[in-house]
Amino acid sequence: MRLTRRRFLKLTGVGAVAAALPLDVVPVLAQSGPVRLGILAARAGVLAPVGESGLRGVQFATDRINAAGGILGRRLELIVEEESSPKDTVERFRKLALSDKVDAVSGAISTGVGLALGPAAEEMKTIWLAWDATTQKGVEESMPKPKYSFRSTDNECEAVMASILTARHWKGKFKTVAGINPDYSYGRDNWAAFLAIMKKYGIEAQVVSELWPKLGATDFTSHVATLIQAKPDLIFSCFWAGDTPIFMKQAHAAGLTKSTKVVLTTGGGVHESLKKDFTPEGAILGYNCFYFENPKASALAKEFTRWHAEKFKEWPNYESDHGYFTVVAFKAAIERAAKAAGGKWPTQDAIIQALEGVEAESLSGPRRYREDHIMEAAFFQGVTTHRNRHDFVTIDPVESMSTKQIQKPSGVGLYDWINGWKV
Amino acid sequence: MSAVRWALALGWPTPLFLPVLLAAGLALAAVGPVIERLLRPIYDRDESFQLLLTFALVLMFEDVIRFVWGTAPHQLGNVYLAYGQVRVGALTVPTYNLIVIACSAGIAAGMGWFLARTRFGRIVRATAENREMAAAMGVDMTRVYARVFTLGVALGTVGGALVIPATAAVNEMGIELIVEAFAVVVIGGLGSMRGAFAGALVVGVVKAVAIATWPEVEMLAIYVIVIAVLVLRPAGLFARATA
Repeated sequence: MRLTRRRFLKLTGVGAVAAALPLDVVPVLAQSGPVRLGILAARAGVLAPVGESGLRGVQFATDRINAAGGILGRRLELIVEEESSPKDTVERFRKLALSDKVDAVSGAISTGVGLALGPAAEEMKTIWLAWDATTQKGVEESMPKPKYSFRSTDNECEAVMASILTARHWKGKFKTVAGINPDYSYGRDNWAAFLAIMKKYGIEAQVVSELWPKLGATDFTSHVATLIQAKPDLIFSCFWAGDTPIFMKQAHAAGLTKSTKVVLTTGGGVHESLKKDFTPEGAILGYNCFYFENPKASALAKEFTRWHAEKFKEWPNYESDHGYFTVVAFKAAIERAAKAAGGKWPTQDAIIQALEGVEAESLSGPRRYREDHIMEAAFFQGVTTHRNRHDFVTIDPVESMSTKQIQKPSGVGLYDWINGWKV
Repeated sequence: MSAVRWALALGWPTPLFLPVLLAAGLALAAVGPVIERLLRPIYDRDESFQLLLTFALVLMFEDVIRFVWGTAPHQLGNVYLAYGQVRVGALTVPTYNLIVIACSAGIAAGMGWFLARTRFGRIVRATAENREMAAAMGVDMTRVYARVFTLGVALGTVGGALVIPATAAVNEMGIELIVEAFAVVVIGGLGSMRGAFAGALVVGVVKAVAIATWPEVEMLAIYVIVIAVLVLRPAGLFARATA
């Protein structure tokens, strides 16, 4: 069809009217046809491995749900969009809400994106179940009491747990510490939490070096040289991506890790890249909320690990579990709300209410959403070992802590909470 | 420009030792003439067009790499330590680092010899100096461009191959290196071999010193120098006097 001037004006007129419509109309959930779940997954850039991992968990959950008859008899359908910059991701969120008319959106890893999506979810009145994207400061400031956003576990949980383990295993065995952490809120907050917890445990460690390579850096030879000169007894790092193996490799090659204790709060996210050749035994390594070789793994976790290894030729990591939980929690909330409504398909408000406090079986055991919309889960960390069937390090023994212990409770600042501990 | 192609070296069946890696790097230079053909139409356009097009190519290469090799970082296991370590007093230096330094010195010397002493090197210098004049003297511009470009790509891919054992091939690594390469070129002066050499040394040493003394200013220090050079010697440290 040729676009005449009249038709163009008509189209733009319709667009203008649509844009001017008030957004406080409560979306009515379609009650037949498939349940539509929008997904925001990073599949490009530095976040891509993590985004892919989350997407796999979501896919696994969806396949299982549909194989078992869907949600109250309705199929679950995924509409996958890309997580990229905050601005573009918010636009895709709008598209999912307005054009695809999804029942909820699951996804997002980057804190920057998360901070932008929080207000967008409230504005669009669309349920958003985050996979990650929850660094302290931003969360406290921009999403104090959300209605539609359901957030992940705090990003600092892993630093809190690793710090507690450091104090437990090594108190009195180190005098000097150095930090090498990515130069953004996550790295800064984790390092500050570590130092605060050391103080709380009465460990007066002297900080001999604080290094802040930028996120995504791929060469740490100068940093390693600086650390060798500073001679710390312990190095703390919350690297979580390709930076982890590169740093460990270069540190090992220069002889840095031979006698220095190492704490890697989050390196378990790229566990397969931490080869035995350069990752020492005896380091504290965190796997966030899912450890693929947990001896106490449930049948579900074992099934997922097998599925993942066969399909992708990789052992799964934590982000899959975050993704998985958002889907099964959404299903559990719908069923919970429907039960309360006498079997009728619930309203959006009823689903939100049911999500608060909902519990569901995730890949790492039971998980729930707190009443303040924050996830509660178990975290897994331990001391690295070379005694396994892989060419990369694993942990033994596997230590687990609940977010009840390592995540700040509702309404309290992170550092106020730590300072209030009774140790 | 060629930085991103470095990651391509990963596609080869795990090159377990240096020669294979270098051969892989060199073989990748084969993409050079193809890209050169693509760039030909914009040789006469403003330099910013060339910059934009080459940068667009970098981004497209990143996507191609992602489709083929996925998103996770790739690494070459223990190749890095295959040659052992050298101990000098309290210092431990991986032998591989020394090999890379030797290779770089060798390549720099080779390039110097090539540009100064060979017939083709003289043609390249003449072309860089004055393209129209060189063409008027009967130099086949198309061939010179294709060859020089391929040579540049080969330097990039071999450099990438050398760096991978010490780090890992990450899809975004190209961008980081490109930004630093810009600083090197600005400091050294466009079109000057000695300038590029000096610029690279300045950037590398300043970075290392900044990290050791005041890590927060690592990037800042480099760009302060870039700005200083742009203000005081806009053509770069080793720019030839222009008429």
